[in-house]
Amino acid sequence: MPEFLKGNYKVKATIEDKADAADSTDEFEKKALSRLGGSICFVSRKSLMWRGDGQPPASRATRENGDDDKAKADGAGTKDRAGA
Amino acid sequence: MELGRKIAQALEAATFERVAGVGLANAEANRSRIARSVLELAETPLGSGDAAIVVGAGPSLYRRRSLERLRASRFAGTIVAADGALGACLRAGVAPHVVVSVDPHPERIVRWFGDPTLTAPRGDDYFRRQEMDPTHHGDELAVNRALVELVDAHGPKLKVAAATSAAPAVVERCEQAGMDLYWWNPMYDDYDAPGSLSRRLWEMNGLPCLNGGGNVGTAAWVLTNAVLGKRRIGLIGIDLGYAPGTPYEKTQYYPELVDLLGDRFREAFIHTENPATGETWFSDPAYHWFRNVFLEMARGAECQTVNCTEGGLLFGDGITTATLDHFLEATAGGGARG
Repeated sequence: MPEFLKGNYKVKATIEDKADAADSTDEFEKKALSRLGGSICFVSRKSLMWRGDGQPPASRATRENGDDDKAKADGAGTKDRAGA
Repeated sequence: MELGRKIAQALEAATFERVAGVGLANAEANRSRIARSVLELAETPLGSGDAAIVVGAGPSLYRRRSLERLRASRFAGTIVAADGALGACLRAGVAPHVVVSVDPHPERIVRWFGDPTLTAPRGDDYFRRQEMDPTHHGDELAVNRALVELVDAHGPKLKVAAATSAAPAVVERCEQAGMDLYWWNPMYDDYDAPGSLSRRLWEMNGLPCLNGGGNVGTAAWVLTNAVLGKRRIGLIGIDLGYAPGTPYEKTQYYPELVDLLGDRFREAFIHTENPATGETWFSDPAYHWFRNVFLEMARGAECQTVNCTEGGLLFGDGITTATLDHFLEATAGGGARG
């Protein structure tokens, strides 16, 4: 309760601090809603992909297996699958 | 306004609250494992032509036997699957060229890849309750063991487009199964805004940011269009809704809706008739939001998106509806060479 509302007598009525109550309700709704959200964000009015602006200050981890792009796609797809 | 639609309007911000913190923590944890950008997938031989099928994990996959029909068609284009659909794909004899994984949940998502550490049913009833893959409703340990074997057998032929938000347990599982990982950042916010998390991530790892659209199925469609450059994209299993007759208790967000709304939870569901099938499907606020987001993205996308689910709630401007057989015939051979 704000300091300036304190008196030198006691009142019988219970006074609710509505601001605190509202904050608490808002917080509950925010938390509850966040449980309903998706698994990844959507940013409206932006493109499907952003590649960044030029060179990033820190680059991703050095490709340790840079030459191991084994073109494993040959086995993918609907053809020549087990159970064919 | 209906309660469900009203809640749906708040979910863009709510999703940020839900995933940003853990997503950034996972990006940090995954940092040392990041070796390839998802952009390298565009230069990798996948399916032929400019046509692709994106596979979501919605109930129409089973209702319409979409995967069995895709398998029988010998479709030569590219197949991209959401992680939740991987098991269904492999069981049907369809090995996707790319599997997309996004969700930062620490325990659940690894189950879509078969969790070798699962020795007893978990307290979390998600897999017993979820409506997407009914094979998990029975003996979940036996189903999990079978999936572990299936994924281990196919892993070395699979490529995973992993968001940096993905749980480290998923990353470890994919690596252990011999999958090749290609990385990207989820777009968390406006990268032009001051203090943007998206920009911070890009500065940290140099990976492109994809606008995910709320769920992994939509993210798979984004990747297929924006990264792989496919121009004719058929959707299966992307229903963004619940099939007629699905009990509310079997819906994705049932416990959360009951916690939030108590006895009024039923008011959060939105029932809509599919104009192509005449069936009435329904959505919760999350699926309703996913649907609206998908339509907004599809309207501005440089591709033709064909809903071949033969059900669900994804219809409107920007989406063409066709049977799967029609799409497969029209794109026989994978479509025009890209």
